[in-house]
Amino acid sequence: MVACILIPGFELQAALRDRPRLGLSPAALAPLPGKEPLLGPVNATAETAGVRPGMRLGEALAVCPPLVLVERDPAGVEEQWEQIVRRLEDSGFAVEPVEPGCLYFDTRGVERLYGGVSPALKRALSAVGSSWTTSAGAADRRFAALAAAAIARPGQAVVVDDDRTKEFLAPLPLTLLPLEPRRREELDRLGVKKIGQLAGLPGSAVAERLGPDGRRAWSLARNEDNAGSEDNARVTARPAVVELTERLDFPEAIANELTLRRALTALLDRILDRPERGGREIRKVALSARLVGGGSWRRTVTLREPSAERGTLRAALGPKLAELPAPVLTLGIELLVLVESQGRQLALVRPEGNAFVPLEGDELQTRLRDGLRQVRAAAGAGAVASVVEVAPWSRIPEQRALLVPRD
Amino acid sequence: MVADPGAARAARSARLNEPRPALVEEGFDGAPCRVNRQPVAVVREEWRVLDRWWTEEPVSRRYFEVVLDSGENVVVFRDQQRGGWFSQRGA
Repeated sequence: MVACILIPGFELQAALRDRPRLGLSPAALAPLPGKEPLLGPVNATAETAGVRPGMRLGEALAVCPPLVLVERDPAGVEEQWEQIVRRLEDSGFAVEPVEPGCLYFDTRGVERLYGGVSPALKRALSAVGSSWTTSAGAADRRFAALAAAAIARPGQAVVVDDDRTKEFLAPLPLTLLPLEPRRREELDRLGVKKIGQLAGLPGSAVAERLGPDGRRAWSLARNEDNAGSEDNARVTARPAVVELTERLDFPEAIANELTLRRALTALLDRILDRPERGGREIRKVALSARLVGGGSWRRTVTLREPSAERGTLRAALGPKLAELPAPVLTLGIELLVLVESQGRQLALVRPEGNAFVPLEGDELQTRLRDGLRQVRAAAGAGAVASVVEVAPWSRIPEQRALLVPRD
Repeated sequence: MVADPGAARAARSARLNEPRPALVEEGFDGAPCRVNRQPVAVVREEWRVLDRWWTEEPVSRRYFEVVLDSGENVVVFRDQQRGGWFSQRGA
């Protein structure tokens, strides 16, 4: 099945997250600068007051004078959307983002993992987070899944049975179809107000009257694939953001944890020896598996301190193997975030009773030299300097001392 | 001709505690009432520095040590020779 996750008015929701007090006032996304003064998405309070998305600004202010216009923040929207997509991917969903606020995924890969379509949708909703007004839908095709998500209540999922999709779509309004408003008005004048009514018209008549867009909407209304457009039944997951990956295919399904741990050790050896790593340490790593029966499984681990030590990585990833829900055909490891080696912060004091005592002698000198070397490597030549007093008696502060670089 | 290595090193040296331009709103008596958009809670101390009057670059500054509403302790001065407000550490 195809599942759809929908966050209506995502841009407005994203913009209002920084201004929670506005959530209770009527608010709408401001019109695009330099374009027609038409409102973007509106919140529930504004909708109750009679404001609609796409309404002219003047009309909206006449209907609801206290309406607050929220400025668009495209960079913030992108950033928050990417975080949501990553959270879903971390939960094992191979998603195809369409636009901020709408994405699809194929439930086949996760049904086994979460125990069915509905539990998988619930898991996806919880991965998005309760701070977003999100709904989910699943059906045999993308448009039906989108329609199901659009009519689901916030935080809920609607699953449409394969053989009842046409019945499900029939009573829904035409606003769900990707049609220009003037086409929709044209259909409305002809008495066509529901998806089922449009689906009942002859295709050639629709194409003649409404053009290619109308024909496409007609195909969607009939829950059919339409030649020349995106495949209505297929989801193409975006490629994962992976820096390095290794996988191990087993000749037969493996369920023994000891064998899996050995496989993990072998994978770690292989991936850490890859020259592309270039001495970088690992901050975030994912363990994935293809399960017997066609499902998949994935867990990500973010290390508190970046590391490239086999023991540390084994200790972090090993316990995850116990969470595998079924025997494994392929085990994979992905290095998601690599960072330059930062060195270690070594203390210049040591605890003694309740106090700290400065280190002395060679150990202090070694640690200081090491620290200075790290500072120089990070900030460049000239980053380490000595303070040289030149006129400590001066009444002008900046004339008392100089910073002299030490190389 | 051999370049003086000492000259190269001196060129990279910098003064410690150089003054930095500050955004200061002053009251009727010339004392700061807002520093970098933060209200001044109290003026702790005030002093003047008149120096190098015998050179072509005399120094005439009116210093204030203030505590901001945020609790931050800041030293600012008004350069009475060239105008403008500056903040400075180590004063």
